[in-house]
Amino acid sequence: MTFRSSHLALPDRVAQAGCARVARCYPRAMLHGGPGPYGVAAPRILIVDDDPNLLVILAEQLRADGYEVQTARDGEEALRRLAQSWPDLLIIDMLMPRMDGLTLAREVKARADLPIIVLSAIDTADSKADLLEEVAEDYVTKPYHYPELRARIQRVLRRLGDRVPRQRLNLGPNLALELHRREAIVSGNVVSLTPTESRLLYALAANLGQTVTTETLLARGWADTEDADPSYVWVTMRRLRQKVEIDPNKPVHLLTVRGIGYRLVGAAAPVGS
Amino acid sequence: MSTEPGPAAGPAATPAPGPEVAPAPGVEVAGVPVYRSAGLGFRTRLTLGLIVAAVLPVLGFGIVVLLATGAAGDASSNLMRVLLFAVAIAVVFAVLLAAYLAADLGAPLRAIARSVERVSAGDLATRLELPGDDEFSRLAESHNRLAGDLERRNRELRRILDSLGAVTLHERPEVLAQRAGEQARAAFGMIDCAILLVDPREIPIEEPVPGDPVPVRAELSVAGGVLGVAVGHLPATRRWEHADQDLFELFAIEVSAALRNAQLYARVEDQNRRLVALDEAKDDFLRGVSHNLQTPLASIRGYAQQLAAEAPDRRLGIITEQADRLSRMVRQLLTVSRIESGVLRPRLEVFAPAPRVRRTWEALGAGDVPFTLDDHSAGWLALADPDQLDQVLWAILDNAVRYGGHTAIDASVTVDSGAGLVSITIADHGAGVGDDDRDRLFLRYERGAGRPSGEGSGLGLYVARELCRAMGGDVVLEPSAPGRGAAFTVSVPAEAAEES
Repeated sequence: MTFRSSHLALPDRVAQAGCARVARCYPRAMLHGGPGPYGVAAPRILIVDDDPNLLVILAEQLRADGYEVQTARDGEEALRRLAQSWPDLLIIDMLMPRMDGLTLAREVKARADLPIIVLSAIDTADSKADLLEEVAEDYVTKPYHYPELRARIQRVLRRLGDRVPRQRLNLGPNLALELHRREAIVSGNVVSLTPTESRLLYALAANLGQTVTTETLLARGWADTEDADPSYVWVTMRRLRQKVEIDPNKPVHLLTVRGIGYRLVGAAAPVGS
Repeated sequence: MSTEPGPAAGPAATPAPGPEVAPAPGVEVAGVPVYRSAGLGFRTRLTLGLIVAAVLPVLGFGIVVLLATGAAGDASSNLMRVLLFAVAIAVVFAVLLAAYLAADLGAPLRAIARSVERVSAGDLATRLELPGDDEFSRLAESHNRLAGDLERRNRELRRILDSLGAVTLHERPEVLAQRAGEQARAAFGMIDCAILLVDPREIPIEEPVPGDPVPVRAELSVAGGVLGVAVGHLPATRRWEHADQDLFELFAIEVSAALRNAQLYARVEDQNRRLVALDEAKDDFLRGVSHNLQTPLASIRGYAQQLAAEAPDRRLGIITEQADRLSRMVRQLLTVSRIESGVLRPRLEVFAPAPRVRRTWEALGAGDVPFTLDDHSAGWLALADPDQLDQVLWAILDNAVRYGGHTAIDASVTVDSGAGLVSITIADHGAGVGDDDRDRLFLRYERGAGRPSGEGSGLGLYVARELCRAMGGDVVLEPSAPGRGAAFTVSVPAEAAEES
């Protein structure tokens, strides 16, 4: 692949090329549900954690699964490594000396829209976890279970293909989505979405107007859940309708294609007119 | 009631109320002059007075003439008729003249009365125009001044009320005082006005000097004490009446109340800020504790698993399980702190409940305890925070293993479709829960009777119940039944798994 060589020269060009450059990263990453034996380069992961033991263990675990791994002991080292080459994904600890994970994540996102998974002892119920939602794609708590972490890495890498813009998506007079903030604006009111709900809307919004199969949605929403079945999608879609539709019984945005899947459409006229 | 013994009052008769003692005309009662009319109108009285004044001398003259001519004999009866006629004409003229004069004098009084009525009805712009330099025009002048003063004070009052209405609590007291001073200056037409938040005794009282700006002053006090003093100066030409001072003091009272509110508000704000800072410090501390405990646990766990992968060893499994247990207890403590701060924020997701129970059981590492799972929840999905439900199930299952004395554990998952709840009942076959313990089982730091304090944190059930309640469910202890030990039911909201 010619990709790698251009990749190395990246840092100098980031300022000018910015998003276009990053956008070209994604199709490659999208090829990988995980690393495969197809001769394509393995996805590269940069782990940033102040605990050397964790760096060693996690790096070994990921390498064993075919990922190419780099490690950094703190935020400054991480930024130095970023200046040399770009990974496909970062795994960042929250509490680190000198530069905390949130600051690092913001620094990274300010340079390019690289996907970030936060791996931290701070659990999701913490108020700080909310701040992370702006900058991190996913969140795994320590002590982590490696299979779950791996599933999340795969999901984040796969999801890069259907990235929606980091801005408001207007679907009609009564609905707008701000998926990077996990929010829907329904008739002017902000409705917060769960991570799974926003993942499903990610997938639907990326194929706006087209039917997305239940299986695809299941894979997008529950990649790390062994016992998930289509009913997870059904119930979640029903709950989504209750959140984003004016009349959940007469949906205008989230339409069922019976037996196949779902479709997200924009509505031109206000509901009821 | 003042009574006077009337002339008719006998000893047996009820004393009749005597006539009210009416103040004599012109007598002042408590400084207010009271006048009583004789029951006739001003105009009638004036007319009568003039008639009497004009007619009496004419009548007197007529009588004198009559007496004189009577003595002179009948020859003058002709002259008498002429005289009588002249007297009659004079009387008629006198009456007409009196009526005209009375009307002329009454008109300005009526105009004044009308004007006073309009002023008293609130039309303060009413002014009286009475030309000349007599008592009436002076009366009109003082009426106009009265109306003008009322109008001005009304205007001042409105400005004061407006400015007080604009006061917001968020202002700092110093800013508020400064603004109130400016408003007082504008409202009262002062040269300057300042509201000083100091002891009024520190500000010397200025003596007015004729020709110089007039000093005015009012203390700011509330029920709690003196807040400060308002001092200002008026143009030398400006009159400052008692009513103006009253109004200024009223303003000072209102400003005091606003200032006191602002001071209290500032204090509350200050305390709130301190509490928020403390809360953040506590969060930071807990975050640090959690980080410092979980990070080494992650390493221990990771290495143990790595070693186990290379060379399976039962002891490595125990290390992993115990690391997990320790990390769960750290989380439990964090959860308690969040329950206390009221910041549990469950993220509801849909999932099948039974596999969760199975997985939590496996993570517990109590392989030697017989376990059955009976799932009657087909077609339904739980609606809960998976992470929190995991904590709940782990605490209940862990209790069942510990306090059930390693007897068999039966778990069953059922659905109450009417209530939209899925219930997970976990029962052991141990000694069960004594009646004494039932009530305090879910309290913080409580353990079953006779349990050594080193066993368990005493937080499991408390945390489990609070977590479930935050998700719209509950944890209850089932009534004891023969052949069964303790049985706890965890319930969380559920939804039918139908395509929609």
